Amino acid sequence: MAGMDRRAFLRALSRAGLASWTLGLWPALSRAATPAAKPTPKPSKTPAAAPPSAELIERNAWPEHYETTLPALGKSWITRNDRFFVRSHLPVPIVDPATYRLEVTGLVATPLSLSLADIKAIPSMEAAVTLECAGNGRGLFKLANTSGTQWERGAVGNAMWGGVKLPFLLRRAQVLPEARHVWFEGADVGTLPEVPRFVRSIPLEKAMFDVLLAHTMNGEPLPGLHGGPVRVIVPAWYGMASTKWVTRIRLEKTASDNHFMARGYRYNYPGDDPSLVPPPVEEMKIKSVITRPLEGGREAIGRVRVQGFAWAGSMGVRLVETSIDRGKTWKPAGFMGDTAPGAWRAWATEYEIKAPARLTMMARATDGKGEVQPAEAMGNLAGYGNNSIHVVSFRVA
Amino acid sequence: MLVLAAAAVAGLGVLAFSDDQGKAPRKRIYEQQFAEGEGKAIAERSCLICHSQTLVTQQAKDSTAWEKTLGTMEKWGVKLTREEHDSLRTYLLAHYGPRAKK
Repeated sequence: MAGMDRRAFLRALSRAGLASWTLGLWPALSRAATPAAKPTPKPSKTPAAAPPSAELIERNAWPEHYETTLPALGKSWITRNDRFFVRSHLPVPIVDPATYRLEVTGLVATPLSLSLADIKAIPSMEAAVTLECAGNGRGLFKLANTSGTQWERGAVGNAMWGGVKLPFLLRRAQVLPEARHVWFEGADVGTLPEVPRFVRSIPLEKAMFDVLLAHTMNGEPLPGLHGGPVRVIVPAWYGMASTKWVTRIRLEKTASDNHFMARGYRYNYPGDDPSLVPPPVEEMKIKSVITRPLEGGREAIGRVRVQGFAWAGSMGVRLVETSIDRGKTWKPAGFMGDTAPGAWRAWATEYEIKAPARLTMMARATDGKGEVQPAEAMGNLAGYGNNSIHVVSFRVA
Repeated sequence: MLVLAAAAVAGLGVLAFSDDQGKAPRKRIYEQQFAEGEGKAIAERSCLICHSQTLVTQQAKDSTAWEKTLGTMEKWGVKLTREEHDSLRTYLLAHYGPRAKK
């Protein structure tokens, strides 16, 4: 068990006199790093603790990287909190809601410092927004070298996020004309002082368009694993933009030059000219997932139902098609259920299968500007944005 | 075309999401321990300061890529002597080297 190893490791460190040094670092660090929030990061998850749900795949015990299984993902349009994927860059901080503060600072005429109660007192709205980890599908790229967590298909989910519209706060803070970018600082800090903070930014026009500061998730107070008490929700962008445990919003002239902006989250393709700046990972690519039938599963003879979800960046999903002949012919699926600007679409179709068979199902989505999912997305060194067509082998009996 | 598709699906009934696909067992899918071998102790001492073993054991990288990773980790505060650095790279390459082309 990883937890046992961790305990044994800490005991070993303790013997070496290292544990007290390492562990003693966090409170001091967090105070220095975010005086407004006074978070108390914990060194790791509780030893031997398991993912919160049997429907999550534990890809990394600490920091927590949990992926939703496809059967669990397929159960509802809204992904339940205990089924929702978890991606943490640094140890999950424990932020005390009683002392939490959110600062709005930088190029503003009226800096703000708000408690959680202040934020909750602002009229709130709810929006269904799909978040996908930029590395979702990394483990499926056919590359000899693969760096980072090997996500397959379940680092995606759709939740009802409730909170304050960011434009409301920005207007209250009176953004100065020279401001162009909005930087978000989270309460999470690395274990060693040299580890960079997670400080990403988005352009001001995006921030003023549809960004939310969420303090509820599917009607519950935002869980700590998902960025509570307050996180940013940036619709249409990959999940890294939706900063968790946000404690400071800073208006600046330029984009953040943080590691997770300047070097991380860039599309580096093999053979690219190294003198060129690789393009940043921003909007989600058009993608669909088949949640039924399941890989290796069995369906009964007769009408075989095929269903899943499709999502995209700001252009939205226009069409989902399925193929049962390995892509020779495609037929459109129908959309079902709810529609929301930042949320995925549920889709379904049927095939009449009259005899036992081994079959292959494919689904491909097209976005509002005509981009179609590729058979195989171009592999990039960090494994971002894998939107290859999902192929499922199953049998009918 | 979309209207037709929607009409075709209307016969499927509303949102037939189901719980009938069974619960997947909790999966721990990677080696939870570092592989035995020279360099394991260095890996435990340096990698586990910030993350669990599986972040390493699920990766597959060639010498250049592991070298890059070690460089980043040292920049981020992991202390390794030159010898430890080389031993660790050799260990990682031996146990978590590049995967065969699929």
